[in-house]
Amino acid sequence: MTRRSLLEIPSGVQCFLGDEARLRREIERVAADVFRGWSYEEIVLPLFDFDDVFTRGGGVSSTDGVYRFIGRDGEVMALRADFTALVAKVVVSRLSKRELPLRLFYSGEVLRYQPPRAGRREELFQIGLEHLGAGGVAADVETILVAREALSKLGIDDAVFTLGHVGFALELLAGVEEPERSLALEALRRHDRDGLRRIVGTASLDLTALSGGVEVIEQARDATGSREALARLEAVVSELSALGLERQIRLDLSEVRDFDYYTGLVFEIHAQGAGLELGGGGRYDSLLGRFGRELPAVGFYLSLDRVSELLAKRGVSSPEGDVSSVGSLKESLAARERGETVRVKS
Amino acid sequence: MTLTLALPTGRIFEETSELLLSRGVKLPPSVRAGRRLRIEADPFTLVLAKDRDVPTYVEHGVADAGIVGVDVLSESRPDVFEPLDLRIGACRMVVARQASRPPGFYRDLSVVRVATKYPAVTTRFFHGQGIPVEVIPLAGSVELAPILGLADCIVDLVQTGGTLAANGLEIDEVLFESTARLIVNRASFRLKTEALRGLVHRLGGAPGT
Repeated sequence: MTRRSLLEIPSGVQCFLGDEARLRREIERVAADVFRGWSYEEIVLPLFDFDDVFTRGGGVSSTDGVYRFIGRDGEVMALRADFTALVAKVVVSRLSKRELPLRLFYSGEVLRYQPPRAGRREELFQIGLEHLGAGGVAADVETILVAREALSKLGIDDAVFTLGHVGFALELLAGVEEPERSLALEALRRHDRDGLRRIVGTASLDLTALSGGVEVIEQARDATGSREALARLEAVVSELSALGLERQIRLDLSEVRDFDYYTGLVFEIHAQGAGLELGGGGRYDSLLGRFGRELPAVGFYLSLDRVSELLAKRGVSSPEGDVSSVGSLKESLAARERGETVRVKS
Repeated sequence: MTLTLALPTGRIFEETSELLLSRGVKLPPSVRAGRRLRIEADPFTLVLAKDRDVPTYVEHGVADAGIVGVDVLSESRPDVFEPLDLRIGACRMVVARQASRPPGFYRDLSVVRVATKYPAVTTRFFHGQGIPVEVIPLAGSVELAPILGLADCIVDLVQTGGTLAANGLEIDEVLFESTARLIVNRASFRLKTEALRGLVHRLGGAPGT
């Protein structure tokens, strides 16, 4: 057998250098400052946990490429595959006495095996927050305001938030049993009108008419008779518009997102020049119940990887500051005392 | 707003061109010459790509939309919108065996050796039914494999069945029917909604509209 070079890397691993590393750190700092500015408290979460925290607890499906290993005591463990499930677990177990709502944010990597293809990585750096204990429109709107401010402070003023409500799809598919139900949700997610028609026979529903501006809500109400989900979505949209976000809001009622724990509002964040979503989130009112405490919650994440790629593409960099070149270690101490960045000549 | 549209240069190229022409999309002669890979055809920028690369360009957003067969989509399963069945390029994905073998004979084998250009589709189909499969990936002319004894059967796309018959093969089972689809990048659909919705209606409507 040929011996592998020590320099060979397994697929999926990455390292960041120079400007890119500085830019990533800067993005993390700016986002964290904004989150703290809205009274979100940082929570540092474990890098691994029992596998079922992510699968049975969270919405990660067993085929989602979770990195699993057997712990020393024989239990199936998993590398962090999602933050939200971990937050839920900590909130139920450790923060039960805290006053509600709880506002928490996190920052770090999740790991998921992905078949190699453009734009998909295995180590995904996410910065996100969770707003727990409030079920109202105000909490939904707050998370979007925070996301908007974070992106805006990062120089992305043109972020577009595409809002949907998973309740709409569920109302639409009421009475449809598995396995058709999953197929129908997938068809809806892919805007595959003909596929959806084959599965559930909703003859005339034009899926492209489910996305667009505010008028979409009215059209969908007429076409489907859906009520509750659309009313809630309308309330969120009108509050966001009143706060001046109208230009940045789109609607897509076929938006259901990947995780099965979402129960209400869902949203995706895009911006010109990024071919993949910059982030997303939504309401997950039943997730905490799985861990033993019924608590409504809403949250979102930003992909540090994609935000950083977009900023780099737009010519934003994070250059090194001024450096004082000093001749001796003694001089360097004085310069450091003055707060300068020093480089000792050797 | 200019849309970048990825067109497949393979099997469904002719039908795709005809469809676009019939919907009033003017294709410059350079499209047919097939040398230039990026062509301005106002209001579109056309990108001429290998069939299998179309989903890659669209998923990554360097093309806003593309035209590609279900056969290719089933193999690569890109995360894109699929708003329109264009109803062109119809064919079937089939399991074919040598005519001398009885139908479904491979179900009795301990492992079925299958030659194909579609390894993912093949594995899903056989494993989904609990049949162990050894996929032999080939780049083309998979009909040769059973003749030479390399494989027990093949999974391939069949239009008329002429090539199968000429090589002593016949269809054993149909996996699915394939037609061409319009696929759209998820982010583009958010950011260029009107233009893309216009494209969907243009390609989905009656000819000449």
